[in-house]
Amino acid sequence: MLKESILYESVGELAKRIETKQLSPVELTEAYLERSQKLGPQLNAYARLLPVEALDQARAAEKDIHRGHYRGPLHGIPYAAKDLLAVKGVQTTWGAKPFAEQVFNYNATVIEHLKNVGAVLLGKAAMIELAGGLGYMYASASLQGETRNPWDISCWTCGSSSGSGAIVTAGLAGFAIGTETWGSIVCPSAFCGVSGFRPTYGRVSRHGAMALSYSLDKIGPMARSAEDCARIFAAIAGHDPLDRSTLAMDKAAFTNSPAGDLKRRGLRIGWLKNAWKEYEPGVSKAIQAAHKILPRHFVSVRDAELPEGPWEDAAVVVLQAEVASSFGELIRSGRVKELHDPLGRTGGYVNLTVTGGDYTTAQRVREVLQKKMDALFESYDVLATAAQPAAATPLTTNLITGILAFPDPVGAIGNLCGLPALSVPCGFTEKNLPVGLQFIGRAGDDAAVLEAGQIFQRATQWHRKHPKLA
Amino acid sequence: MNKSKGRKIDRREFARKAALLSAAMVPAGIAFAEPVAAATNEQLPEGAEKLSAEGRVEAEGRFQQIMSQYGSRFDADEQNRVRDGCYNLQGSLERLRAFHLENGDAPAVYLKPLVEREKKPLSAPAVGAAPTAAKKP
Repeated sequence: MLKESILYESVGELAKRIETKQLSPVELTEAYLERSQKLGPQLNAYARLLPVEALDQARAAEKDIHRGHYRGPLHGIPYAAKDLLAVKGVQTTWGAKPFAEQVFNYNATVIEHLKNVGAVLLGKAAMIELAGGLGYMYASASLQGETRNPWDISCWTCGSSSGSGAIVTAGLAGFAIGTETWGSIVCPSAFCGVSGFRPTYGRVSRHGAMALSYSLDKIGPMARSAEDCARIFAAIAGHDPLDRSTLAMDKAAFTNSPAGDLKRRGLRIGWLKNAWKEYEPGVSKAIQAAHKILPRHFVSVRDAELPEGPWEDAAVVVLQAEVASSFGELIRSGRVKELHDPLGRTGGYVNLTVTGGDYTTAQRVREVLQKKMDALFESYDVLATAAQPAAATPLTTNLITGILAFPDPVGAIGNLCGLPALSVPCGFTEKNLPVGLQFIGRAGDDAAVLEAGQIFQRATQWHRKHPKLA
Repeated sequence: MNKSKGRKIDRREFARKAALLSAAMVPAGIAFAEPVAAATNEQLPEGAEKLSAEGRVEAEGRFQQIMSQYGSRFDADEQNRVRDGCYNLQGSLERLRAFHLENGDAPAVYLKPLVEREKKPLSAPAVGAAPTAAKKP
């Protein structure tokens, strides 16, 4: 029986044990499976566990390693994939009743990449139905029900990568894969106190992933440290002929520099003064404390401002128009009524009325914004701000009228421009709920964002805190 | 900027414009297949007062268009939710349209030509070979 503390170790730490044969991938997989079977249902963290397949993969990894064929830091590490990634022969529900029985006969490219490096797929993580693309009012907007936050099970994990957040923070797997169209990696990472990375648009193939918004969707890792995110990102990034939105080979691929070899290029941090209108007091305190730490570890920390403009409106119009296409048939057929959330059942009809002219205008505004943001990155390497201005909310919160109904220009801008972002834990509120600090980089400079996160985590221990679970 | 923002129109004119706009947006034959109840509703959704007069008409037209095509699918609460959605979207559209763009400001989408290396290699069919479509499963 493995000690609980081992299950909370980072991928890097687990990999060292596996490589030196101090830890068996089979034993690790069995331990995570047992914990997932016990705690997963309490948290609604999984859509489906795959014990048979996982143990087969773990045995294969163990055999390889014993033969001397160690494939690298993800070899033998169990992980969970958001249930919108196709896994051959396994139900992929997209978190939604109309797709509850859906099975693909191929693997998503991300799943293939992780298979190739020897990672062990433990199960499919619960998610908000259709990644929230048709709108949702409640945390319960999922085929699996509301995902409970391991730090306080009366609170939500945020969405739409809800299960991925819960799984990582509860020590149910070594890492998880999430996706983000607008906030779906950054917010659950902040609410759950894990490190979550949203890569530059086009660096990770979306082949085999549910398409919500073709020009906004991205796939990224959620893990126990920024360093782990870099390791996982290196495994899943790269050009894919099956996804034409991926960047060219030399721009898409990512090589991880081990922690000791950080280039120390002297990152200039821009501290965003106008990202959020107001903060919840507990969040404000943690963010101010993080702000104070930064000058000791970065070459400069200066105030920065996001450009003013209708960026959120542009993101809304782009998202609604693209969802009207990606789920047009579901809406027109009326099957959208099968969704769980009251807003999800009606929101799509409004999307259908967005005109081509307005969509194009939004895309023109997007281009203007991209240029403005690129110019901003002449003065800063990385922008920093709170990942969210609030901590995890009660499960019953109305997301449209409640505390989470705040403007989110930083999320809109980051996703409209396809910028990389990383949320790392930076403290706790007085209710012991995690607070996330967000680093945002120039498009393509994912390395700077990951480096900033690693530097911050060398100076702090917030990412090593874990919830107490019965 | 939209100069007419805030101009007042009376409810009758508002309902008439909304109905006209709705009829124009809906394909012939479908228009008003369902009852158009909300055009004369006195209660506008929250935030509607921030819209221009034309924006309110457009939002209402959008709602009427949806009701004309799909109205029978919704109960009263759902109708209200759809209507709120129409007015929320309208707010975004008004702010977006008010943003100054030059004619040459192109959209952030461009065609990426399917370059040769991304094409699936095609093998030349053998002479006399039956076309694939003729094969039986």
